[in-house]
Amino acid sequence: MKKKMAWSRNERIFLWMLTPILILFFCFNTLPLIKGFYYGLTNFRGYGNYDFVGLRNFADIFGDARVGKSYLFTFKYAIVMTIAVNVISLILALGLNSNIRGKNALRGVYFVPNILGGLVVGYIFSFIFTYILPAIGEATGSQFLSNSLLASTRWAWVAIVIVGAWQGIAMNTIIYISGLQTVPEEVYEAGMLDGATGWKKFKNITLPLIMPFVSINMVLCMKNAMMVFDQIMALTKGGPSQSTESISYLIYNNGMSGGQFGFQSANAFVFFIVIVAISLFQTKFLGSKEEQL
Amino acid sequence: MAEVILRHIKKVYPNTESKKSKKKGEPEKKKSNLLVTEEGVLAVQDFDLDIKDQEFIVLVGPSGCGKSTTLRMVAGLEGISGGDLLIDGKKVNDVEPKDRDIAMVFQNYALYPHMTVRGNMEFPLKLQKMDPAEIKRRVEEAAEILGITQFLERKPKALSGGQRQRVAIGRAIVREPKVLLMDEPLSNLDAKLRNQMRAEIIKLRQRINATFIYVTHDQTEAMTLGDRIVIMKDGVVQQIGTPQELFDHPKNVFVAGFIGMPQMNMFDAELIENGGKYSVRLADVTVELSEEKQKNLAKNGVKSQKITLGVRPEHITLAQGADSVKGKVEVFEMMGSAIHLHANACGRDTIIIVQTMNLEDAERSGLSIGSEISFTFGGGVAHVFGENGENLEA
Repeated sequence: MKKKMAWSRNERIFLWMLTPILILFFCFNTLPLIKGFYYGLTNFRGYGNYDFVGLRNFADIFGDARVGKSYLFTFKYAIVMTIAVNVISLILALGLNSNIRGKNALRGVYFVPNILGGLVVGYIFSFIFTYILPAIGEATGSQFLSNSLLASTRWAWVAIVIVGAWQGIAMNTIIYISGLQTVPEEVYEAGMLDGATGWKKFKNITLPLIMPFVSINMVLCMKNAMMVFDQIMALTKGGPSQSTESISYLIYNNGMSGGQFGFQSANAFVFFIVIVAISLFQTKFLGSKEEQL
Repeated sequence: MAEVILRHIKKVYPNTESKKSKKKGEPEKKKSNLLVTEEGVLAVQDFDLDIKDQEFIVLVGPSGCGKSTTLRMVAGLEGISGGDLLIDGKKVNDVEPKDRDIAMVFQNYALYPHMTVRGNMEFPLKLQKMDPAEIKRRVEEAAEILGITQFLERKPKALSGGQRQRVAIGRAIVREPKVLLMDEPLSNLDAKLRNQMRAEIIKLRQRINATFIYVTHDQTEAMTLGDRIVIMKDGVVQQIGTPQELFDHPKNVFVAGFIGMPQMNMFDAELIENGGKYSVRLADVTVELSEEKQKNLAKNGVKSQKITLGVRPEHITLAQGADSVKGKVEVFEMMGSAIHLHANACGRDTIIIVQTMNLEDAERSGLSIGSEISFTFGGGVAHVFGENGENLEA
C-alpha cells in the first residue's frame, strides 16, 4: 500500500514537470497548426473580412506554378544540403575524434557557427559573396568568381547551400563525435587484428555501428534544410527571378505581404504534412539499418 | 605453429602530467607501484621469455601488473618501447597486427554487433579475400568444434555470455593463426560457465596447432591451463615455471602468496643454523628442515636470521603435545570434503585445511569457533623467505 502511495507521489512530480511544457507546446505549436488549417479553409488576406472557401486553397496548391517551383528548389536544396552536411561533418568528426593534439579546442572552434544566428551568418556571407569573392575573381582573372554568385539564377542556390552547410555542420559534427565515442575500442582492435584498417574499417565497422547517429543527423538535417528561411532572407530574398524561393520563404512573403494569408496557410499545412512524411520515411528506412550495441 | 620470443621487452608510457601544472616542491604523485623514470611510467620491464611452438603460456598477476600490456604488445595493439619481439624467428616489433599471423580473444568478446555469428567468423577471412568455399568450410568446422552451429545466423545480442565467448574464439581460430592470444577470456562468465569453458579451452588446445598466450588474474585458470606460468607484479616478471614448480618452489613471498588456494600462511619466524644443520623456530616450536632444503640453504651459505616462514594450509596438521604451535579458532568454514579453519596463531590469521574423511564427531566439535587448537608442519613443506622476501633456497 505504502509502495503505491510513493509511486503516485512520483507520478505527480513527473506530471508537474511535464504539464507546463505540454501547455506551452499546445499554445505555440498545436494551436497555430489548428489555426493555420482553419485559415487554410478561408480566403483571408491577412486583414479585413474573409469567407470560407472549403478545400479550394488545398486544391489550388497543386496547380500553382510558383508553389511547384518553390517545392522543387526546396527539395533540391534539402537533398544537396543533407548529403553535403553529413559527409563533411562525418569527416570532421572522424578527425576530431582521433588522437590529435588540441582536439578539444578544435571541437570548440568547429562549433562556433552553430551559436551564431542564421541572419547574422547570412549577412556576413552576403558581404563575402557580393564584394570579397568578386574582388578575388577579378584579381585572379576568374570569370566565374568575378560575378556575384547571388546574382546568378544558376548558382545562387549553391551560395545558400554553402552558408546553410557552414552553419549546419557544427551540430552534426558534435552528434557524430558522440556516436563515434560509443563504438567500443575493443571492436576496433579486433578489426585491426582481422585486417580491417582504413576504408575497410570505416565501411565494415564504424559506419554500421554509428547508424543510429546517421539516422538522427539525416532526419534533423533534412528537416532543417526543408524549412530553410534565414539564409534566403539574408542572402537573396528568394531571387534572382524567384530561383531561390523556398517554401518557407514563399509562405512568409506571400502570406504576410502578398495578401495570400489563407492560401499560404493551406500551403503551410501541406508543407507540415510533407515534412512529417519525409521524417517518418527516413526514420523507418534508416532505423532498419541501425544496430543496438 | 610458431615460436614466440620476447627479448628484454619494455613498455614505457610517457608522463602526460604537464610540468606547468605541477607546483614547485610538490612531491611526485604515486598512482601505483610501477617504476617511474624520466622516460615515463614503466608498465613492463625487461620481459624475457622463449615460448616454444604450441606451448600454452599463461601470464598471471594482479591488476596493473603489466600482463595485458605484454599480450597487447605481442598482438601489435601497443607499441614496444624497448627489446625485440620475434615470431618464428622474424622480428615483428613494427609489423602491423594483421600481418603477424596472430588472433586474439578479448575479455569483452569484441564481436561485431551488426554481423551475425557467421558474419563475425567470416569477416577476417573475407578481408583476406579467401575462396568462399574455403571460408564456408572453415566457419562450419570451427562452429562444430565450439558447438555453435545452431547460432550461426543469430546476432551476438541474441546470445548468452558463454555463447558469445565461443563465437569470439571461433572468429580467432578460423584464421588458423600461428599464435592465439587470449586476454582474460573467461572473466565475464559466471563460476559454473567459467569451469565449463576452461575445460573447452583445454580440449580446443588438443585440436588446433597454435601457440597459446593466455592472460588471467585467476590462479586456478593459470594452474589448470598453462604448460608454463609467468607471474608478474608491478611490470616485473616474478617467476616463470610449470604450475608444479611455482607451487613447490616459489621464488619469493609474492609468488608464494599468489599461487595456492587458500593462500600460503606466512609467519614471522627464525632460521637457525647450527653446525650446518638448519631448522626453523616458530613460537617455541623448532622444526628441522628436510635434507633437500638443508642442502639448498647450505649451498647459498645462509646464516641464522629472522625470516618469513611460509606453510601452505594443506601442509599443516593438527597435533597435540609440546612440539606444536597453539592457536584459537576464529572462523570455521565447512567446504564438504574439508574444513577450512581460520585460527589466530602467533598473531597471524592462519588457515588450516582439515579433511573431514575419518574425522570423528568428537574431534569435529573440538574445532568449533573459540576452541584452542595445536598444529605442526613438516620440515619438507616449510618455505623460508629472507627479509627482502626472496626464497633463501633459490
